Amino acid sequence: MALSLPTHPSPTVNPLRRSPKPTLRRVNHRVCVASAATPLLQVNDLRAKIVESNVDILHGVNLTINQGEVHAIMGKNGSGKSTFAKVLVGHPDYEVTGGSVVFKGENLLEMEPEERSLAGLFMSFQSPVEIPGVSIDLFLAMAYNARMKKLGRDEVGPIEFLPYLMEKLQLVNMKPDFLNRNVNQGFSGGERKRNEILQLAVLGADLAILDEIDSGLDVDALRDVANAVNRILTPEKSLLMITHYRRILDLLNPTHVHVMDKGKIARTGDISVVEAIESDGYEAVSALT
Amino acid sequence: MQERMNGIGFSPAGYSPVIPSSSCFPKKLRVQPQRALSSDPYVLELAETLEDSFPSSPSTPLPLQNLRLSSSQSLLSTPWPSRRDEPFRFTDLSFIRQSRILPVSPTISLLTPTSHLPNDVYVGSLSSSSPSLLQRVSHFICPFPIGDLFFSINGIAAPDLTLVYVPEGCHVDIPIHLDYMLPPTPSTDDSDAAMHLSNPRVLVVVEKGAHVNIIEDFPASPENQNDSYWSNAAFEAVIGQGAKLTHSYIQTQSFRAAHIKWTSIRQEASSTYELTEVSTGGKLGRHNLHIQQLGPDTVTELSTLHLSVADQTQDLHSTLVLDHPRGYSRQLHKCIVTHSQGQAVFDGNIKVNRYAQQTDAGQLTRTLLLEPRATVNVKPNLQIVADDVKCSHGAAISDLEESQLLYFQARGIDIETARRVLVFAFGSEVIDKFPYSSIRDRVRSQIKNLLDPSSN
Repeated sequence: MALSLPTHPSPTVNPLRRSPKPTLRRVNHRVCVASAATPLLQVNDLRAKIVESNVDILHGVNLTINQGEVHAIMGKNGSGKSTFAKVLVGHPDYEVTGGSVVFKGENLLEMEPEERSLAGLFMSFQSPVEIPGVSIDLFLAMAYNARMKKLGRDEVGPIEFLPYLMEKLQLVNMKPDFLNRNVNQGFSGGERKRNEILQLAVLGADLAILDEIDSGLDVDALRDVANAVNRILTPEKSLLMITHYRRILDLLNPTHVHVMDKGKIARTGDISVVEAIESDGYEAVSALT
Repeated sequence: MQERMNGIGFSPAGYSPVIPSSSCFPKKLRVQPQRALSSDPYVLELAETLEDSFPSSPSTPLPLQNLRLSSSQSLLSTPWPSRRDEPFRFTDLSFIRQSRILPVSPTISLLTPTSHLPNDVYVGSLSSSSPSLLQRVSHFICPFPIGDLFFSINGIAAPDLTLVYVPEGCHVDIPIHLDYMLPPTPSTDDSDAAMHLSNPRVLVVVEKGAHVNIIEDFPASPENQNDSYWSNAAFEAVIGQGAKLTHSYIQTQSFRAAHIKWTSIRQEASSTYELTEVSTGGKLGRHNLHIQQLGPDTVTELSTLHLSVADQTQDLHSTLVLDHPRGYSRQLHKCIVTHSQGQAVFDGNIKVNRYAQQTDAGQLTRTLLLEPRATVNVKPNLQIVADDVKCSHGAAISDLEESQLLYFQARGIDIETARRVLVFAFGSEVIDKFPYSSIRDRVRSQIKNLLDPSSN
C-alpha cells in the first residue's frame, strides 16, 4: 500500500539481488505474483493527443501490469511508446482524449504529476533536462522529503540523508562528488542515465517506467544500470521498460513483451516476440494480430 | 499641492548637515539662470538648494571645490532627463521631480574596525587626510566627462568625500565594509511628498600591486523601510598597475526610494576589477557603471542580479571602454521580474577600440519574467573597431521552463516548491560570486524572503 521507502540508510539488500546472474531474479516469484488480486496498473483504451499540434498519438492502448511483473514495450520510432510513458506520468504536452488508467485502484489521470510520483509511479526521462543552480544532493533531499511528508514522517536533515545517499550512489557506480554537480548540467549520456537510476534508487517505486534507459550507453554502463535496477526493485515491484534493443531485455528478463504500432499495443507475448522482431521486423510482427 | 506637483519648492538642509548651513563663508557659487537660456529652471533650483545646504568652507579641499564648480557649470546646460533621452527612455524619474527635495548630509559608516586595517591604509574623509595623501589623490578628483546630471548633482553636493587609499603592494586581508545607512526621516507634517536627498561620494585609490576588497551596502533600516528618499551616490576607483579591486555592492533600500548610483572605474595595466552586485530595493534602482581601461592586460568581471518584486524598476547602464591590447572581460547580468508592474532595464555597452587588439570580451544577459505584463528592456551592444578580437554576447528572456518544472513534479515535488527553487537557482549564479560567505548567506536569505514572503 505505502511506498517501500527505506527510512534509514541500512544496506538491506536481499541476498538474491547479489547474485552474479541478475537475470534469475524474477523467475522464482512469478507464481506468487499471478495470484495478486487487483492489477497494479490497468490501462483501458487510452487515447491521447499532442496539445500544441492537436495530433492524435495514442489510439486506444490496453495494458495490464500486475505486482512483480516486468514488462517491455518495443516498437519502431514514432509508434507512441514514449508518448505512452509520458502520458502515464502526466506530461503537460499531451492531453488524454479517452480511456482510463487505474493505478493501485485509483484514477491516475486525475492526479497531478507529483501525486503520481508520490503514489509510487516513477519514470526515467529519455532526455532529462538540465537544471542549473540546483545540485543533485539538494534535489534528491527535496524529493525524498516530499515522500516523507506524504507518509506523515519527519523530514530528514542533510546529516542523516548523506549516508543513505552515498549507499545509493554506489549502486550506480558513481563518485561522491557527483552529488555536488547541478542536476544533468553538462552530463554525458551515461551520467544522465545513471542519475535517473540514482533517483529511482533513492525514491523507490511500485512501478518504474524506464524510457530508453539503454540508449546511448556502452556495454559496461548498460550492465551497471541493469544491475542497479535489479538490486533496487524488490520482487514485488514492477517494471515497464521501453526499448529498441535486446541487450537490456536479456539483462532484465521481462515476463511480458509488447509491440506498439500506430498508437496501440499490436502484439503481446513473452521473450519469443523479441526473436520474431529480430528475424522478421516490426511490420511483420505487428501485422500478426 | 499643485506647487509640489509642478516640482517647485525645495527646502534647504532639513537634517543636521555636517557643515552648518549658517555658514559665514561667502565663497559660494551662485547659479545665475539668466546666463544660460537653455537651462532647466527645476535643475537650477535644485542646484541652488544643494549649494545653500552644503556651502564650501576653507577646509573644503581644493580639488573638491573645483569639482563643485565644474559640476555647477555643467548643471547650467543639463536639463532634467525625460523619456525622450535615450539613457532614460525606459526609466521614469517623474516621482522624484514631483517630490519636495530635502538635502541631507550623507552618512557612510565603516563597519570594518580600523584597528584591523594595515597602518598605512586610509579610510576616512578627504578633508581630514594628511596633506601628502591629499596631494597624491588630488589629481584623481576631476570632472568625469561621461557623467550625467546625477553625477553633477552629486559633485555639487559633496563638500567632502570618503577616501579609501591602499598604498603600493599592500594586500588588505579583511574587507572594507561601507554602510550607507540613511538617517530616519524626521517626522514632518507633510512628509508624504518630501524626499530626502543624500549624495554620498567615495574615492578609492588602489596603488600598484595592492589588493583590496570593498563592500558597499545600501540597506533599508528597520526605521525607514517604507520611507521615500533619494540616494544619489557616486563611487570612483582608480586601480593601479597589477592591482586588484574586488567590489561587492548590495542595494536593498526602501520600495519607495530612488536609488541612483554611479560607479566609475579606471583600470591601469594588468589590473583586475571584479564587481558583484545584487539590487532588490528602491522604486527606482539605477546603476550607471563605467569602466575605462588605461593599459593592457586588464581583467574585468561583472556579475549583477536585479530583482523587481513590486512596482519598481531596476536599471543597469554599463559601459566598458577598452583602448589597450589583451583585455579580458566577462559580464553576466541577470534580472528577475515577479510583478506585473515591475520592470528591468539593461543597456550594456562594450567598446573595443582600435588599439584593443586580442581583447576577449563576453557578455550575457538573462531575464526571467514571471508575471503577465512584467517588462524588461535589454540593449546589449558591442562596438568593435579592432580586428583581432574575441567577443560574444547573448540575451535571453523567458518564463520558467515547463520541462524543468515537470522534472521536479515527476519526482514528487509540488509545483510551487519547484518554481521557488528554480527562480532562486537562477539568481544564485550571481550570489555565489560574492567573495564572503557571510554576504552570500545574508543576500540568499534576503532574496528568499523577497521571492516568498510567506516563508518567514
